This record gives sequence, C-alpha cells and structure tokens, in this order.
Amino acid sequence: MAGVSARPTVEGGGGSFLSTTPDRIFTPEAFVGDERLMIDTAEQFSRKEVLPVAERLDHQEEGLMPGLIRQAGELGFCGPDSPEAYGGLGLGKNVSARMLEFLSLNGSFSVTIGVTSGISQIGLVLFGDEQQRKKYLPKLASGEWIGAYALSEPNSGSDALALTSRAERRGDRWVLDGTKMWISNAKWAQLFLVIAKVDGERVTAFLVERDSPGVSIAREEHKMGLKGSSTARLVLEGAEIPLENMLYLEGKGHHVAFNALNIGRFKLAAMSLGPARDAIGLAAGYALERKQFGRAIAEFGLIRRKFAEMASRFYAAESMLYRTGALIDEAFAISDHSAEGNRAAAEEYAIECSACKVVATEVEAFVVDEGLQVFGGYGFTEEFPIARSYRDARVSRIYEGTNEINRIFLADRLVRRAAEGRASLVSAGDSFVSDLAGRAFARFEPSERGLRDADQIAVASLSDLAMLAYMEQSSRLRAVQVGGFALELHRLATRWINLEATRAYQWLTGESVTVPPTEPVALDDLAEAILSKRGPL
Amino acid sequence: MKILVPIKRVVDAYAKVRPLPDGSGIDTAGVKFDLNPFDEIAVEEAVRMKERDPGTEIVVVSVGSAECEEQLRKALAIGADSAILVETSQEFDSLGIANELGAVAASLSPDLILMGKQATDDDCNQAGQMLAAKLGWPQATFASKIEVLGERLRVTRETDDGEETVELPLPAVVTADLRLNEPRYVALPGIIKARSKPLERRATAVGLAPKTRVSRYSSPPARPPGRKVGSVAELVAALRERGVL
Repeated sequence: MAGVSARPTVEGGGGSFLSTTPDRIFTPEAFVGDERLMIDTAEQFSRKEVLPVAERLDHQEEGLMPGLIRQAGELGFCGPDSPEAYGGLGLGKNVSARMLEFLSLNGSFSVTIGVTSGISQIGLVLFGDEQQRKKYLPKLASGEWIGAYALSEPNSGSDALALTSRAERRGDRWVLDGTKMWISNAKWAQLFLVIAKVDGERVTAFLVERDSPGVSIAREEHKMGLKGSSTARLVLEGAEIPLENMLYLEGKGHHVAFNALNIGRFKLAAMSLGPARDAIGLAAGYALERKQFGRAIAEFGLIRRKFAEMASRFYAAESMLYRTGALIDEAFAISDHSAEGNRAAAEEYAIECSACKVVATEVEAFVVDEGLQVFGGYGFTEEFPIARSYRDARVSRIYEGTNEINRIFLADRLVRRAAEGRASLVSAGDSFVSDLAGRAFARFEPSERGLRDADQIAVASLSDLAMLAYMEQSSRLRAVQVGGFALELHRLATRWINLEATRAYQWLTGESVTVPPTEPVALDDLAEAILSKRGPL
Repeated sequence: MKILVPIKRVVDAYAKVRPLPDGSGIDTAGVKFDLNPFDEIAVEEAVRMKERDPGTEIVVVSVGSAECEEQLRKALAIGADSAILVETSQEFDSLGIANELGAVAASLSPDLILMGKQATDDDCNQAGQMLAAKLGWPQATFASKIEVLGERLRVTRETDDGEETVELPLPAVVTADLRLNEPRYVALPGIIKARSKPLERRATAVGLAPKTRVSRYSSPPARPPGRKVGSVAELVAALRERGVL
C-alpha cells in the first residue's frame, strides 16, 4: 500500500530485546515518501512559525499559542494518530512521533501540542465509547479545542493512585471534588481527562469540560522553563458533569491513566529529542561563527568531540525510539480495537516506552548542557536561545513519570513478564552490555510479585542495564542496516553505553568489570558532518 | 481551464553537495531530494487559480526516474488533480525535456503550461522558452503576477529593468519567478488524499539525445578570507595593490 512503510518482522513482544536479537528493526531512514513529506511539513512549520516567536511565546502573549495550535490543527498535527472516523488522520504512532519530534524544536510549543494531540486524546481513542469519541475527538483533532490530562495532585505525584479527588453519582450527574496539579494546557483547555475515585475508592476516568459548573483554573505556576506553556491547577468544587462523561468503566480509571501514560512516555521521548536536535543546531551555528585564537571554535578538538558525542547519543536514543514506535504500531495492527484489545496493545511495549522516556530525556539533558557549554559565557545569558533550551529541558526528566519511578517500573515489569512466560531474563549476549545485563538478571528469579521486595538501587541498576542493552542493540542493528556515519555514531555511543553499564553493574553487585577496548571512531569526519548539517546526522 | 504543470526532482536547495571524485557527476548518496522550488511556486499558483475557478483541472508531469513519483505526489498533495510520469533513465538536456513536454502537451491540449523559470540544480532557465517555441505558443517568463482575463492572461514579469506587464492569448507558456507566491504548507490531509489520485506512467515520446554535455563537475575554489581596513586611505591602497584602481 502506498505511503505505509515496510515494517520489519514482528519481534517477540515487549521485553524480548533482552533475550533475542531480531534480524531487522525499523529505523527512521525507512519512513517512506509521503511520510517524509509529512515530517518535512512538521519541520517547516516548526522553523517558520514556532521558533521565530519563541520569545513572545515565553511571555505568554495573548492568543499566540492557541493560534499556533489552531494553525497546526488545520495542517493535521493535532490528531494524526486518532482514527479518521473521528476527525483524526488514522496514521501510525511511529510516524506521528517523528512529526512530533520535529514539531518539538521549541519546548513550550512541544508540550502544548504534545498534550493536546497525545495524552488528552489517547484515553478517548482507546477507551471512549462511540458517543464520547464522536463528541470530543473531532474538536481536539482539528485544533478547535485544546485538551489536557489531569492525574497528579498536590500530594500524589509518583504515587499516583494515592489521589484523593472524589467523584460521586448524584441523580443524573457526577459531582467531582478535588485539586489536580501541574496541568499542562490548563489555561487553554476546553476538555480535561480527570482521574478521580468514586466513593473514595474506585479509580475512574472522567471527561470534564472547562465550562462545567464548579470547574476553575488556579493561577499559572511560575516555572523555571517551558514558560510559553500553560501549567496550573485544575480546581473541582462540586463540579458537575453528565453521567455519560465517565470514561470506560467505573473502577478502571487506572487502565485509562496508565495506558495513556505508556504511549505518552513514548511520545515524550520524541518531544525530548526535538529540542535536543535544535540545541545541536544552535551550538553548531555558534561554534562556526565564534572565533578565538584566530579560528572558529568549531575547529578545536574538544569542541568537535562535543558535537560527535551529542550526535552519537542522539543517534542511539533515536534508534531505540523509532524501533519502539514500529513495534507499538504492530501491536495495534493486530489488536481487535476493542477496549481490551487496545489496552493490551498499549501495554505490550510498556517496558520499551519507559526505556525510551528515560534515555531520550537524559540524552536531551546531556545535549542542552554540552550545547550551552559551546556558547561559553554567552550561553549563560538569555541573549542566546540555548539558555531557553537548557531551562525547558529540565522538566523532561520529571514529568510523565519521573525517571526514578520509570526505573523502578521497568525491571519490575520485566521480571513479572518473565513469570507470566511473556519474556525471558536470559540475555541474548549479543554485546558486552547484553552479557552484563544477563549476569545481573541471573541474580533474580522471574516472579509474579516482581521486584517489590528488592532494594530500589538494585532495581534501578537492573533497569539501567536493560535500557542500555536495548539502546545498544537498536543502535547496532540500525548501523548495520544503514551504514555510513551510523557506524561511527554507533561505535562512539557504545563507549558511553559500556561505561554506563559497568557503573550500573557495580551499583548492583559491588563488583567492577573491565570495559572492552574502544573501537576507533572517525571523530573529525563525524564532527565535520554534524557542523555542516547543523544538526544530528 | 486545463493547466499543465511540469515539475522536476532536484537535490534539496539546502543540501550541501559534493562532486564525485572523478568529476563525472554529483555525489547524491544520502542527499535529500525535493520538488524544484520554482516548480512548487508554479503548482501553488495553479492551485490558487483552481481555488478561484473550481472548473480548473491541474495535471502535473515529470520526466525522469521512478523516484520522481515522490515529487509528483507532493504536487498532488498541494492540490493538483492528476499526474503523469514520463519514466526514463535517459539523460536529457533542456531541449530534450522541451521535446518530451511538447509531446505531453500535444496529447492533453492544456490551455496553460505553468512551470518554474528554472531548476535549482542546473539553473538552465531554458526548458520553458524552448517548449513555447516548439509548440508555437506565446510565452511570458519570470512571472510575478498572473491574472486570467477570459481567454487571455495578463502577466507581470520581473526583468532587470523593473516590472513589465504583458498580455497574451491562451494557450500559452508561463514560467514562475520567486515572488509569484509563497507556497502553502503541504497539509497532512492533502498528503493522504494524494495517495489515491491518478498517476499515469508513460514512455518517452521523442527521446532526443542531449546536444550539450557536462564535461566535469568540480567544487568552486574556497574564497580567500576578506580583511578589515581601518580607513579610506588604507582601502584605496589595498585596491591599488590588487590593481583594481
């Protein structure tokens, strides 16, 4: 069929990267003709419409952000992966994520469009009934309405299910009470996906319109970054909504909330690579212009190494992200599209989604930090845009599940999947890090209880090894398939991955391991290519 | 009105290209291709004409390899109705292309052929003129404004001396300059719609061998760095030194 990428053979399901080596994986180079056209439009929109107004967005100039969202909606960016029957475009999650990466060159715009096109819709798409989808999805997918997702509360963040917002059935209405915290898009949203407990017990999802009685928005949070995005509390004081606005089943709101988050984490990885991509470009532009000792600083070895390292980590994170996206698309392709089928599909690659989130956000952090360093003292001023990139990136490691909670979740999930017979903890041993991960997991038994009783540091170290193995394998397979600079990028990324792996292994076991010798990398050619492209390769 | 828009697949205008080591061509490995920007302006103009007059039909045509389908699909996504790919691996120069386009025009009988004034790869700026001569049709090149007046066109041309307004009867050939319009973003729904629009493949009609030959490709020599001068006197001295004054 025209316009659909040739997908690799289905891998062995979530978590299988640890124990098997697939023949092929999907790589971003494999997006076909008209997918590339869509991605190009996303990049053009970002560069021509969003980046030039970044400063004005940060001042929350009235109407500017909602106007951009409407414009993006007209182009199809507010619901690319929502079903066509409800005003979306019915595209896959993978190509949608790639577009989102390019729409995300500016952080504030990224979170605004990411939330309204992502976690505000995915719950409706996966679990909504016909009427709910018909009523709300076309408005969100067109950009006419902006959506928001409301799970966190002042006293329940990582411990999400400790939430205390209450819902009560009163005659023909639900009445909701509580305060929802850190609500992205709060100021602009017309629809909130709210998680509350019925009778203080049964976690349930609700669709709450902004104009419902008893709904209000508190003042904007004074944030360190993403100043152009809206973040505020949603206050529900006897908020009244119709009975039909309960989403999915009473007591099953956690399925809605957490599966929205699985896909949300995958997308957040794309939203973190977008700003990282831009930061590499900004730093390259500066390094080529700035002269010291009579030469452009881009000519100096230590600066060149920075570009090679930024791009190699970007490459490794990107390799695992789009491999994962293709797997998620496959999971949805074989789903029967019932709520149960959708839940299974959204859950299948939850481990990989967490891995992508953690890795991409930490790569973003590295890139904006090193990118700023290239700017020297000027980077520390707000006169140059890299300071904004640096501030905007900080929250990526905190929201959509902190990287710590994702680390607790990841290995635990793998051990439980192994107990269910859906994964194996015996590693493929196809690399140094895979081998090390295998030795680490050998210390644990598959268990239905997961790693609930294990030490947090051990669990996080196991997760680190699993993530690094997934990243190394994705990076390696892509390099073999694509060749060229990918081989250099992979070799360089492997140096970092191996060091991180020994560190994690040491945290877990107290034992030190010898890192394998590094392979030579054509650092200079690599740096030259990145500098001349002014971006990752 | 039926509008024929010939388009060309070219190396992306922002890509850095290098000649092959033996100078026989350009190294296109890993280089991004795109629709020639001037042709994109021509497609955009045709689509705007269709938006003003819904009876308009837009056919886009490209001569080249199977990969040209990407650029034809882009033109369809912007709003063209159908596409023709004259599929060939043969090399053509401007005259060869004008011959092929002439044959397509003869079979379609368009009222207007609207195309980019030149392609950003070889910058020849000849195909449109040669095509008009071949068909015996009037031509208006470097158009910055096009108005339809019934059976005639009024075209504002950008020339070195300023703007020139010409009127010409249809059928005619018009080539687009940069300021004719600013092409729209290619919207996702349009891209999806383009998947099912008709694309016809044809063989070449004339297959004229090139009358020109590129003997060698090479990079321009690096420009020597400039230097700052402190005063007019120093500037004059420097210019004298180079024999300019």
